[in-house]
Amino acid sequence: MTMDDVSLRAGRRTPGGGIPARRAVTRWAWRLFRSEWRQQFLILALITVAVAATILGSTVAVNNPPPKNAGFGTAQDSVSFASYNQQTQSVIAKIKNLGTVQVIENETYSIPGSINTYQLRSQAAHGPYGSPMLSLVSGHFPANANEVAVTHGVAGAFGLSVGQTWRVGGVERQVVGIVENPQSLLEEFALVVPGQVPNPAQVTALFDAPSGSLHSLGKGVQVNTPASVAQSNPLNPETISLAALVLGMLMIALVSIGGFTVLAQRRMRSIGMLESIGATDRHVRLVVSANGTVVGVVGAILGFVIGFAGWLAYRPSFEQSAHHVVGMFALPWIVVFAAMVLAVVAAYFASSRPARAVTRIPIVAALSGRPAPPRQIHRSAVPGIVIIAAAFLLLGYAGGTGGGDGNGGTPELLLGLVLLMPGLILLAPFLLSLTERVGRRAPIATRLALRDLARFRARSGSALAAISIGVLVAVIVVLASASRFSNVLDYAGPNLASNQLALHTAYAPRGSVIVHRNAKGQLVQQNVKVESATPAELAAGAAQIARGLGTQLIALKSPNANLSGTQGGRSWSGQIYVATPQLLRAFGIKASQIDPNADVLTSRPGLSGVSGLHMDFGGNGQKQGPGQNSSGGSDQHPVIQEISALPAGTSAPNTVITEYAMKKYHISAGTSDWLIVGSQTFAASQISNAQLTASTAQLSVESRNDIPSGSTIINYATLFGIIIALGVLAMSVGLVRSETSSDLRTLAATGASSYTRRALTAVTAGALGFLGALLGVGGGYIAMIGWLRSNSLNGGISALANIPIGDLMLILFGMPAIAAIVGWLFASREPAVMGRQPIE
Amino acid sequence: MSMLELRHVSKKYGQGANEVDAITDIDLAVERGSLVAIMGPSGSGKSTLLTIAGSLEEPTAGDVMIDGASLSGMSRNEKARLRRRSIGYVFQDFNLLKGLTAVENVSLPLELDGISMKKARAQGMAALEGLGLTDRADRFPDELSGGERQRVAIARAVVGERSLLLADEPSGALDSVNGESVMRMILAACHGGVAAVVVTHDAKLASWADRVVFLRDGKAVDETLPPPSPEALLESDVANPS
Ligand SMILES: Nc1ncnc2c1ncn2[C@@H]1O[C@H](COP(=O)(O)OP(=O)(O)OP(=O)(O)O)[C@@H](O)[C@H]1O
Ligand SMILES: [Mg+2]
Repeated sequence: MTMDDVSLRAGRRTPGGGIPARRAVTRWAWRLFRSEWRQQFLILALITVAVAATILGSTVAVNNPPPKNAGFGTAQDSVSFASYNQQTQSVIAKIKNLGTVQVIENETYSIPGSINTYQLRSQAAHGPYGSPMLSLVSGHFPANANEVAVTHGVAGAFGLSVGQTWRVGGVERQVVGIVENPQSLLEEFALVVPGQVPNPAQVTALFDAPSGSLHSLGKGVQVNTPASVAQSNPLNPETISLAALVLGMLMIALVSIGGFTVLAQRRMRSIGMLESIGATDRHVRLVVSANGTVVGVVGAILGFVIGFAGWLAYRPSFEQSAHHVVGMFALPWIVVFAAMVLAVVAAYFASSRPARAVTRIPIVAALSGRPAPPRQIHRSAVPGIVIIAAAFLLLGYAGGTGGGDGNGGTPELLLGLVLLMPGLILLAPFLLSLTERVGRRAPIATRLALRDLARFRARSGSALAAISIGVLVAVIVVLASASRFSNVLDYAGPNLASNQLALHTAYAPRGSVIVHRNAKGQLVQQNVKVESATPAELAAGAAQIARGLGTQLIALKSPNANLSGTQGGRSWSGQIYVATPQLLRAFGIKASQIDPNADVLTSRPGLSGVSGLHMDFGGNGQKQGPGQNSSGGSDQHPVIQEISALPAGTSAPNTVITEYAMKKYHISAGTSDWLIVGSQTFAASQISNAQLTASTAQLSVESRNDIPSGSTIINYATLFGIIIALGVLAMSVGLVRSETSSDLRTLAATGASSYTRRALTAVTAGALGFLGALLGVGGGYIAMIGWLRSNSLNGGISALANIPIGDLMLILFGMPAIAAIVGWLFASREPAVMGRQPIE
Repeated sequence: MSMLELRHVSKKYGQGANEVDAITDIDLAVERGSLVAIMGPSGSGKSTLLTIAGSLEEPTAGDVMIDGASLSGMSRNEKARLRRRSIGYVFQDFNLLKGLTAVENVSLPLELDGISMKKARAQGMAALEGLGLTDRADRFPDELSGGERQRVAIARAVVGERSLLLADEPSGALDSVNGESVMRMILAACHGGVAAVVVTHDAKLASWADRVVFLRDGKAVDETLPPPSPEALLESDVANPS
């Protein structure tokens, strides 16, 4: 062979070996993964669980709200009428001129002996628009006036089954089928053919209006948006799950770096071998990162399979709780796809770092299985501190935008929060070497554990960073909610208790509702004035709802007075009501409990201590008492009494004016809200019944929303931080110590007791946990101080005065203590693992 | 032109007080078709010499020429290409990648060089056939005996058109029968035009070489043509213990 031959052949081949080389190396990586998947099980499990949880969680979150076309079927527009009269007929006739119409009629009947109701509904079984709102469970749809199909609930309430006859709507009919509304499983109805509802209370016309044609329907017809769509969720569940996913994958990547470092170490001789037969650095990196990618791909696929299977298993009970049918494949596919891609990317990046490190080891050293000596250089803290300082400044800038309300700096806020993470990642190794110095005089087990943590910073550092990021997120949530919820003026929390409903005067029309969907699919609103109900009519409606629920009704009187004042950058918010004898009685407050000089009673803790709170009143032209001018007045120092028996909800009467103050200042009041208090939690069907009644009485029903109380958020965030930290520790302590398992054997040989062995693992876990908590809490405070120092709206730094000591102590000391105890208990199994550990 | 040429090669390990002269001022030239044996006591620098000759390690001083090309000016990737195409390496113990079958191990350098899997496999099979391992081709390393593993390693070292074979105690872990058969295969490769350097403790095997180089404390102390018969070499070994 001459050199010419070589160059000739070389000309035909790609310099790096091209695809064949990559394929050969990947094949090897795949075989290694197959035989060593147990060693990679932790990383694999982590990725699988994260992907599966994301898929299941986001699917549930996205499908929980009712479908966007609920009540519309396939139509773009709908008009509803309270009865079938002349006007209804003429509007429907006009709509018919615009195109196809489907009319659905409902009449409400009560189920005897129960507060529940059902609808007698006429709807064409195969109408042009209504098919998504009607489906057959068994039997067939009614075909003539003598047939009826019922929902499961109606069949159960009346003891009906297919084939029986049942008198409904004044006619004996044969039950021919079981039906349901897939978009609202709560609806109970008896389905008859069109024209069989004698006195419809709700007539809905579904149609597709050509654009610009709605004005032809005439005045008195209001176009509105349905409540379910109007309350569009500002925090899209897809966005939340994607954000949680990105954070989760970052942590997984950090934990995995340790795992892949150990793997690369274990394969060092094979890699040296590969290099000795002419593999390039790129090939070697490919082996390690191909392995990472394989783990990512397998984890992503397994996660998808498990997540999807979980969804299929959970779907039936989910449909029950969400009250509508959800398609089997109604997954948020973008999130699913992003989760799988991110899993692969995270695993790839986690493995590419050790891959680069392994190519730096000399071939001969690799061949002899000698790891590169752990780096002795003292990692500098400067880059981490610089980045954290930049994050601090950015957060301060963001907090100061919009004249101190922090509204204008969202990009800076996000960038600042994101920057904190690399800052913590860079600080982690420094903190480890610092701890090693501190522990130089400690007993042998502690000294050795801390030294190993510092020596193998490559893997312990990334675990530490992962813990600190988990804690950071938790601490920011804890501090933010502690500062937010501690403010008694701008009161935050759940609106009502679960056994309470608030009724408000609705400004929705009593008669007709038109909802129009424009070309972009958005719902549009056109406002046309309609007559409103009288106070007596409203009160009658409220009383009817309370009767339907079998509960007491408390009228809430709104005074023409209000509180105002500012503290900690926040000012008073919330409605105040009058402390009527009925209200006080309802909450078991006796007259003797009330200070005769009290102007205001409140359940808000700490409100009586707020200085600068004053009460403004009057201004309605009524006659004023002596010393007051006719445009109202102000009491600069109202006497405030805290009474914890008053309800705490933000929409409940948590702050009320006493009748004493009402008389003293000649404050007048009117009723436009009511509170319903039941003896137990209201069921979804009861609320939906109340809403149905309210919709015909120009009232709206407010039930308990999902807003958690401050302590709930703080406790969950603390729990989250601790679980993440312990999870990362469970994954990584084994990795950190696996490198030193031969040290353990030597220790055992030199006569170290099991105490030493246990202490080693316990100190490793406890120290990692404590350092992570320290970094996370420190980072959290830096973030909050940075943000609040220039942010007057959120109370400035003084808002941090309310320190959630218990929760912080739990994170800082409880979590490391748990880790140390678990490490201590778990360490006894180590020799068994050690014995099995295959070298190479 | 020599296939392998070492000019004044020295290698120091460590620094300052820990400095070790592993080999000092070694000159060696190996022609195509010739077999050179290297002998010497433990720690005398045999492995170091071989790793430097195989471009796995850099000499502290001196130059290594492979087929007339100097290693000193080459990049890491150029050296890797040289190992894929020209240099075959056989180690004492750890030779095969356990995730790959025998034939995959043999054809790996070819695949790394960009030859398609099918062609590489065909060449690998040919190399295995030459060593009588056709029926072991699809076994994994842990399903092969020590001798078979070593023969697979030799097949990989000579596959393609490799022209320099470096073997560091290839028979060290084998019994004398297997050791001899491994040596015979290296010799066969030499007859096919390959230049070979073999480190061995076994004087009998060394006697098959065209030349024997003795190392002591990193220096080449003796370079002899092998004695006419193995028996004679054995006697000289007794006289000159390593
Ligand atoms: N990476 C290294 N760092 C420091 N010294 C080394 C290193 N590798 C080898 N040495 C030293 O260089 C000298 C030569 O080592 P080498 O491995 O070449 O010996 P050898 O002749 O192959 O021995 P053996 O017959 O035992 O394999 C020895 O003294 C050894 O201690
Ligand atoms: Mg040696």
